[in-house]
Amino acid sequence: MNKKGKIALLAGQVWNNTVSQSSAKMLILATNFLLIAFLLVGFFNQQKHQEQIHGFGKEVRDQWENSPDKHPHRMAHYGYLVFREKFPLSFFDYGMDSYLGNVIFLEAHKQNTVNFSEANLSNGLLRFGELSAGMILQVLIPLLIFFWGYDLISRDREQGTLKILFAQGVSGAQLLWGRILGLFYVSLSLIILPFLLAFGLLFLYQETDLLGQSMIHFLFLYLTYLVYFLVLCMVAVWISSRSQSSKSSLISLIGLWLSFTLIVPKIAQVIGQSVYPSLSKIEFDTAVEAELIRQGDSHNPNDPHYAALKDSLLKANGVDSTYKLPFNYSGYVMREGERLSTQTFLTHQKNLIDQFKNQQQILSLASWIDPFLAVKQLSMGFAGTDYEMYLSFQDQAEAYRYQLAQTMNELQIELISNKVKNSSDPAARLSSDYWEDFPDFHPSFLSEKEVFQNNLAGIAVLLLWLGLMGFVVSYSSLRIRVF
Amino acid sequence: MVKYLLLNFFRSKVHPIGLALLLVSGLISLEIGSRFLERVDRVSEKTAIHQQESIARNVSYFNKEMGNLMYYLRFGLENETPRLAGLSIGQRDVYPSIQSLTVRNLEEQRYATDLVNPLFQLLGNMDFSFVLIYLFPLVIIAFGFNLISEEKEGGTWSLIRSQAHSPLLFLRLKLGIRLVSVLFVLLLLLITGKFYLAIPFDVPFLIFGSVSVLYVLFWFGLTWLVVSFQLSSSQNAQVLLSLWVVLNLLLPAGINMLQRWFFPVPEAMSTVIQNREGYHSQWDKPKEPTLQKFYARYPEYQSFLHPKEADFSWLWYFAMQQAGDDEAAVEVEALKNKLDSRVQLAKSLSWWIPSVHTQLSLNSLSLTDLGNYLHYLEALEEFHEKLKAYFFPRIFSNAPVLDEDWSKFTLEKFRDQPQVNWIQLMAPFGLSFLLIWVWAGYNFKKSGIQSIQKH
Repeated sequence: MNKKGKIALLAGQVWNNTVSQSSAKMLILATNFLLIAFLLVGFFNQQKHQEQIHGFGKEVRDQWENSPDKHPHRMAHYGYLVFREKFPLSFFDYGMDSYLGNVIFLEAHKQNTVNFSEANLSNGLLRFGELSAGMILQVLIPLLIFFWGYDLISRDREQGTLKILFAQGVSGAQLLWGRILGLFYVSLSLIILPFLLAFGLLFLYQETDLLGQSMIHFLFLYLTYLVYFLVLCMVAVWISSRSQSSKSSLISLIGLWLSFTLIVPKIAQVIGQSVYPSLSKIEFDTAVEAELIRQGDSHNPNDPHYAALKDSLLKANGVDSTYKLPFNYSGYVMREGERLSTQTFLTHQKNLIDQFKNQQQILSLASWIDPFLAVKQLSMGFAGTDYEMYLSFQDQAEAYRYQLAQTMNELQIELISNKVKNSSDPAARLSSDYWEDFPDFHPSFLSEKEVFQNNLAGIAVLLLWLGLMGFVVSYSSLRIRVF
Repeated sequence: MVKYLLLNFFRSKVHPIGLALLLVSGLISLEIGSRFLERVDRVSEKTAIHQQESIARNVSYFNKEMGNLMYYLRFGLENETPRLAGLSIGQRDVYPSIQSLTVRNLEEQRYATDLVNPLFQLLGNMDFSFVLIYLFPLVIIAFGFNLISEEKEGGTWSLIRSQAHSPLLFLRLKLGIRLVSVLFVLLLLLITGKFYLAIPFDVPFLIFGSVSVLYVLFWFGLTWLVVSFQLSSSQNAQVLLSLWVVLNLLLPAGINMLQRWFFPVPEAMSTVIQNREGYHSQWDKPKEPTLQKFYARYPEYQSFLHPKEADFSWLWYFAMQQAGDDEAAVEVEALKNKLDSRVQLAKSLSWWIPSVHTQLSLNSLSLTDLGNYLHYLEALEEFHEKLKAYFFPRIFSNAPVLDEDWSKFTLEKFRDQPQVNWIQLMAPFGLSFLLIWVWAGYNFKKSGIQSIQKH
C-alpha cells in the first residue's frame, strides 16, 4: 500500500472510531445545532438592529429636512443623531460589538460619547461571554478536539496495538499525520453545514453593495478557523504521542486549553492595564478644557486671543465696530472656536486611543504564544466587530459633526446680518432649503484591503503556529515511544 | 487514617500547585480590585475639585444673569462605590460612577458613558468574583476528579475496600481534606481582601463570604456526585470540565441571550430622538402652549411670567428644556421597565444555576449590578428635580448671582443599600445540595460501597 493510502486508512480509522461512539454523535449533532441556532439568532438580531436604525435614521433625516426656517446656529444645536451600522458579517462573531455604543448625538461645540451599548443595558451576565458562532468556534470546538484527540496515540500504546502497527510497516510520520487528518475530518463535521448556512445568509442581507466584501471576509474567516483547527489537531495528537498515559495526555491538553482561553488572555490584560493606564472621562474632559482655556475662551469677553482676533478683523476691514463688518462677526468667532476646540479634542482623543491601542498591543504580543488570541482578533477583524472598524465609524461621525457645525457657521457668516438682535429675530432666519442641501450621514466600512492590513499580524501568528506544529510533528514522528 | 490521607495529600504535586494558583490569582485579583477602587476615588476627588473650579470660573464670567450662568453650571452626583465592589467589580466599569448635570433637560445628559478600552470590557475584569467563579471550580475538579478512580487505576481500591472500616468514610475524609484546604485559601483571601481593601466588617461582607463558601461547597458536591458514578479518571475529567463549560459559559450566556430576545430595548434609541425633538421643536412654536405645559407640570412657577412680546426669556427657555424631558417620559419609563424585566428574568432563572446565582448575588451585594444602576438613574432624576426646585425660582426672578454662596455646591453622593434577602441568597444552594446529596447517596448505595458499612 502506498504512503498516502496508509495515511488515509489511519485517518479513516479515527473517523470511524469517533463517530461510532454515541456520545460523539450526540456532540457533533449538538454542536451543529448550536452553531446553526446562534448563527440564525445573530442574523435576526442584526437584521432587526439594521431595520431599527434605518427607521430611526430616516426619522432623523426627515425631521432635519423639515425643520422650519430658522437661525443656522439653532440648527447647529439641534444637531444630528447618527446610529452605528453593523457590518453584514457581525452576526458571525459579536466581538466587541456589545461593548460599543450605538447612537451618538452630534452638535456644535461639543463631542458627545457614543451611548447605549448592549453592555449598558445588560446585567452582569454579559461577562460570562456571549453566545455567538464565534464563541463556539473559538472556545468549545477546541475543547472537543482535545477530548477526541487526547488518546489517539497513547491508547494504542497502552493497549499494545502501537507495536502491531509499526510491525505492519506503518511509519511514525504516517501514524501521526493519519491520526491528525482523521481528527481534522471529525472537526470538519462540526462546521461544514453551519459555514454553508452562514454563507447563504450573506445573500439575504438587505444592502447588496457589501456582498462582495463580505464574501471575501467570509473566505478569510473560514480559512482562519480551518488553520486553527488543524493546528489544534496537531497539538492534540502530538501531546498524545508524547504522554506517559492517556490520562496525563488529557490533563496536559486541558491545561493547555485553559491557558489559551483563560489564563494567558487574563495575564496579558492585567499587564496591559498596569503598564499603560488610561484616563477616565473626567480626567480627559478636564485636560481638554484646561487646554481650551489656555488657548482662549470664546465665552470670555475679555479673552486675549479673541480680543486680538477682533482687533485684526476691524483693522483689515477698516471699520471701528464689529457691527460694521461685511460679514457676521459672531459666526466668525464661532467658526474659529469650533476649529480650535475640535483640534484640541482630536489631539487628546488620539492620545487616549493610542493608549488603548498600546494596551491591545500587549494582547497582540501574547497571541504569539496563544493562537486562541490570534484567532479571536482575526475573527472579530473579519466579522467587522473589532476596534478598528468602530474607530472608523467614530472618526466619520466626528468629521460629520464638524462639517455640520462649520457649514452652519459659514451660513451665518455669509447670510446673517450683524444687526439682528438674537436668533429669534425673523431677520435672522434662513430658509429651510439650506437644511435640505446639507447631505445625510452615510458612513462607510473599512475596505477589505484595510481590514486585511489590520490583521496581518494575526495571520502571521496563525501561519507560524501551523509551520511550527508541522515541524514539531514531523520531527517527533521519528521517535515515538512504543511502550 | 486521617494522618495517612494528609500525608498522601501533601505528597502529590497537584495540591500545592492548585492551592498556590488560587492564592496567587486571588491576590492579583485583590490588587486589581484595589486599583479599581483607587480609580473611583481619584475620579471622585477630581470631579469634586473640578466642579468647584468650574463654578467659580463661570460665576466670574456670567454674573449678570442667573439664567445664563445656569446654562453652564454642572453639579455632580456620585453613585457611591462600596469598598466591597473591589471584590466584585461587576458592571461598574460599564456605567460611570458620576454624572454631572446642568438644570437643562436631563435625558440628554444622564446616559453619558465613561472612556474604557472595549477590548478589556470584552475580556472582563479579573476581580475576586472571577477567580471564585471560574478558577476555584477548576482547582476543585483537579483535586477531586480521580477521588476513586486513582485508587482503582493504581490498584489500591481493593485494599481499601477490604481494610478500611468504611470505604465511604475513607472517601469522605479524602475529599474533606481537599475541601478544608480550598476553604482555607478562600478564607485567607477574603480576610486579606477585607484588610487590603479596607472593607467594613458588616452584613453584606458576611453574606458575600457565605455565598463564596457555599459556591465552593457546591462544586465539591458536584465533584462528589460525578465520582459517585465511578467512571474512569479520564471520563470524570471530561464530564466535570463539560459541566464547568455548561455552568460557567453556556447557560449564563444563554440567559443573556434570552434577556435580549424577550426584552429588546429600541426605547434606548427612540428616547434620544423624542427628547431632542421635544425640546428643539419648541423654538419654532408659539410660546404660550410651551409655557402652559410648564405651568401644568410646575404650578408653583405660575407667578413668573414671560414678558409680553419678548423674543426670549429664561422662563421660556427652561420650559422648552422641560418639554424635551416630558416628551421622552413615556419611553424612558418603558426603557426602565424593560431593564427591570431583564433583571427579574435573570434572577428567577438563576435559582437553577449556581454560577449565575453567585455572580448576580455578589454583584448585587457589592452594588455593582444593573439593579443598582437603575436606582442610580432614579436618584439622578430626584437630584435633577432638587436642583431645578432650588434654581428655577432664582433664575426666573433673576436673583443676583453674586449673592449666592457657590461654595456650598459640592459633589453630592447617592448611597444605595444592598437588598439582603437571606432566603433568596441561600435557598438556590440548598436546592442543589439536596439534589446532589440524594443522587450521590443513591449511586453509592447501588454500587455497594455503603452496604459494607453494615458488616
